[in-house]
Amino acid sequence: MSTGVVSTARLKALLQAGVELELSTIPPYLCALYSLRPMTNAEASLVIRSVVVEEMLHMVLAANVLNAIGGEPHVADGHAPRYPHELPTGVVLHLLPFSREAVDTFLKVENPAHPHRALEADHPLLAGRNHQRHRARCLDVDEGFHPASIGDFYHEVIRELEAAAADIGERTLFCGDPTRQVTRDYYYAAGGRSILVGDLDSARAALNEIVEQGEGDMGAMFDDDGDLAHYYRFQQLRDGRSYRRSDDAGAPTGPPVEVDYDAVYPMIANPRSEEYRVPGLQAAAAGANRTWSELLLQLDAAFNGRPAALLPAVHSMFKLRDQSLVLLANPMPDHPGRNAGPTFEWDPSARAELGMRL
Amino acid sequence: MTEDQRYDVVVVGAGVNGALVAKCLTGRKLRVLLLEAGPAAAWTFDGYVKRLDDFYGVYAKGPEAPWPAAVGAPQPDTHDVRTGGGYFVQKGPHKYASSYTRYAGGSTLHWLGVALRMLPEDFSLHSRYGRGRDWPLGYADLEPYYRKAERELGVAADVADQAHLGVEFAPGYDYPMRRIPPSYSDQMLAATVDGMRLSLGSEEFALKIRSYPAARNGIPRGDFVPDGAVDERTDGQALGRDIGQRCQGNTACTPICPVQAKYNALKTLAKADHRYLHLVTQAVASRINVDPASGAVQSVEYKRYTEADSPRHTVHRATGRVYVLAAHAVENAKLMLASGLGNRSGELGRNLMDHPCLYAWGLMPSPAGAYRGPLSTAGLDDLRGGAFRARHAAFRFDIGNDGWHSTTGAPDSTVADAVYTRNLFGKQLRRHLGSNLSRQIRFSLAVEQLPSADNRVTVDPQYLDPLGNPRPVLSYRIEEYTLDGMAAAAEVARKVFERAGITDCTNPDEGTWFPSVEHGDEVFHYHGMGHFAGTHVMGDSPETSVTDPDQRSWEHRNLYVLGSGSFPTMGTSNPTLTMAALTLRTADRLVAELAS
Repeated sequence: MSTGVVSTARLKALLQAGVELELSTIPPYLCALYSLRPMTNAEASLVIRSVVVEEMLHMVLAANVLNAIGGEPHVADGHAPRYPHELPTGVVLHLLPFSREAVDTFLKVENPAHPHRALEADHPLLAGRNHQRHRARCLDVDEGFHPASIGDFYHEVIRELEAAAADIGERTLFCGDPTRQVTRDYYYAAGGRSILVGDLDSARAALNEIVEQGEGDMGAMFDDDGDLAHYYRFQQLRDGRSYRRSDDAGAPTGPPVEVDYDAVYPMIANPRSEEYRVPGLQAAAAGANRTWSELLLQLDAAFNGRPAALLPAVHSMFKLRDQSLVLLANPMPDHPGRNAGPTFEWDPSARAELGMRL
Repeated sequence: MTEDQRYDVVVVGAGVNGALVAKCLTGRKLRVLLLEAGPAAAWTFDGYVKRLDDFYGVYAKGPEAPWPAAVGAPQPDTHDVRTGGGYFVQKGPHKYASSYTRYAGGSTLHWLGVALRMLPEDFSLHSRYGRGRDWPLGYADLEPYYRKAERELGVAADVADQAHLGVEFAPGYDYPMRRIPPSYSDQMLAATVDGMRLSLGSEEFALKIRSYPAARNGIPRGDFVPDGAVDERTDGQALGRDIGQRCQGNTACTPICPVQAKYNALKTLAKADHRYLHLVTQAVASRINVDPASGAVQSVEYKRYTEADSPRHTVHRATGRVYVLAAHAVENAKLMLASGLGNRSGELGRNLMDHPCLYAWGLMPSPAGAYRGPLSTAGLDDLRGGAFRARHAAFRFDIGNDGWHSTTGAPDSTVADAVYTRNLFGKQLRRHLGSNLSRQIRFSLAVEQLPSADNRVTVDPQYLDPLGNPRPVLSYRIEEYTLDGMAAAAEVARKVFERAGITDCTNPDEGTWFPSVEHGDEVFHYHGMGHFAGTHVMGDSPETSVTDPDQRSWEHRNLYVLGSGSFPTMGTSNPTLTMAALTLRTADRLVAELAS
């Protein structure tokens, strides 16, 4: 008897968790990026930007695989991430301004071989009432599955795809409507290209792309094109020194890399709009959250049959940046020395309004 | 003097023509020395961002703002047109009002990116209308090279929009990228102007607001991959290339696209085979040495400076089998004249052309979204061709998306006017600006100019630059044919404004300063389009032209002279795409010749 129904249900849950996992890494990078004062930290800005666009590509690739097997990738409503956010690696993502702490977190995120470590028993996330809502969904797909790393998670998805294809047949498994795939017409400029998924090979290619881009070959610092892997670019920021081609990993000897941690808007960690007491900040946060929610709705539409919704999503990204900069440039009167920042909270009213236009 | 090793080809100038020829030749394993007079400031993304930061910092945001000249490679500056100083020596009677940039990448670093083909009738203006000259080539000869050039430059357009006025495309062909979406004001104008009929003489025309082809990244067709920013770092740290794979609508195409979504020649140069390319920047070609017996070029002398702010330099000599001048219409002619090269036809340096351009500006009847999108996405080009060209110049309108920025210095000047003249403040001021700025619309009326023997570049030993190289001495007159075209263009603009319900606010006295020319009772204020052409005209005979149809010097057979300087006439299209097509055609011939 075929177990097809059961295995694609788990697969779809895994891939939906993958989409959310990739989405959850984006706001922390954006906070660090937007917190850099204009005309400063050029190198940090380029590195963070190049990574965040790759995370966006990963989300698109995971969505393409899910669409290929007849799923419906979602990123809006309850799928929007909440911060702090626990990843399967045990790394907790915070919304932080660019700082040594943020760079250390990025190094852990960019190193999916980072060994899984359960949160310490006294971790504040565990004490919170809503821990469940602050952790990656892939930790909870089923009770018996505890991925040790992000790479591990995707390898499980690939194994599951292979098993399902063997079980119900590749054709039956990849029953998705090809017009739901996000093509390079609408997705671009992310250090990689969108991959159309319609069979096992292309699904493997898409998921391996995610793993390889994130993980890289931790042994080889420079890729085939001669480009330094992201992990090492973050190391250059951390160490303030660049790598030469002949250098060993961990010991850069090149010219100094200029990093100015003071040329940063001092955003409070994990801001929440309810903390903003000043009407101006409240309005700015509401505006930024509305835009963030619109962006998620546009992505949701793009993943569900309307890939052209990615065109206005570009405008939303610019708008989100500008609104975030307003928050970042303004001090919080009740937190001396600290500025406000984007809170990346889902605005439930956005759907009713934007739904009409989408 | 230092002798360089011998190359297959020595190319002078790393602009669009030099880059294209370098890419084609190195792609066939031919060793190329590329000499560039200016600096290579934009060769890395870091370098480009520094230019961008400088641009943000300066008050006067003219075309040259991000690209200041090196002492050793001075360049014309539009501000100098007013003061009469600067690099050009202008003998008049009218001012030549355009500029160019001496940097690796050339003037494509600050062009608008319009990539129109010439009309078939433009190639035979004399035989059709008894005006100007005929080209030694026809549209059909260039058509395959237009296609190649559109791919090299990355042009976004739809054939469905462009196949008119006799312009034909190869069957099944479409541009490498889809057209850039029309701006909101383009769509508003189309709603009222499309189908409007008007006559020039006895000819009837129907107008249509039309997207034009732009070398600006959009949604690719087929397997085309748009090139993002240039980042030629060799240390494995190049991260800029992901940026600029689509236009973001920054409304800053000129003088500097913040993300390099618009083509610049460095994108081509980055794709040359660097194993065979030796790029030397800050190297100003100063003399071409010729064997007096055979006429063959023997070497190119160049002056190399290391500091952009000092004239200190060393002199070098480069040798190759073949020499290519791709330094700009003015610089090519200047170098040939200064080197005393053969000029049997007497045409060297003559026939200097441009597209003298008038502005018309006004207020749309309702908010039109000014200051958004690329500087211009559409135009009116139905009057680029027709029998009226027997009487007066053809013309083409660009429709701006940048409000009155170029015409009056808005939005700053609009704010100043509201505060200081209208005494507005508070809510009233906000309402006024909100209503006024978003309704601003600008047309650029670019008018055809014919070749004329009196419009010319010469050199004079009394006018030298800090390296001791000659400064270009220009004589320039806008003739009746063009003035009559200006009058017709201004009249058409008035009619279009009326039809579209645009309140005409055209008033050169209140606008930015531009040189003027009288025509009967009228005074036209014009600016240059940067479309230098005609200084080393190509033709069928050494008696009447400087180069043959392959842009090969009649009198120095191992010398090729590339660029819009070869154009016998220019029609109304901006020259970049056509000269790129000509260069690709010449490159094919060079490869064939050098391989044998």
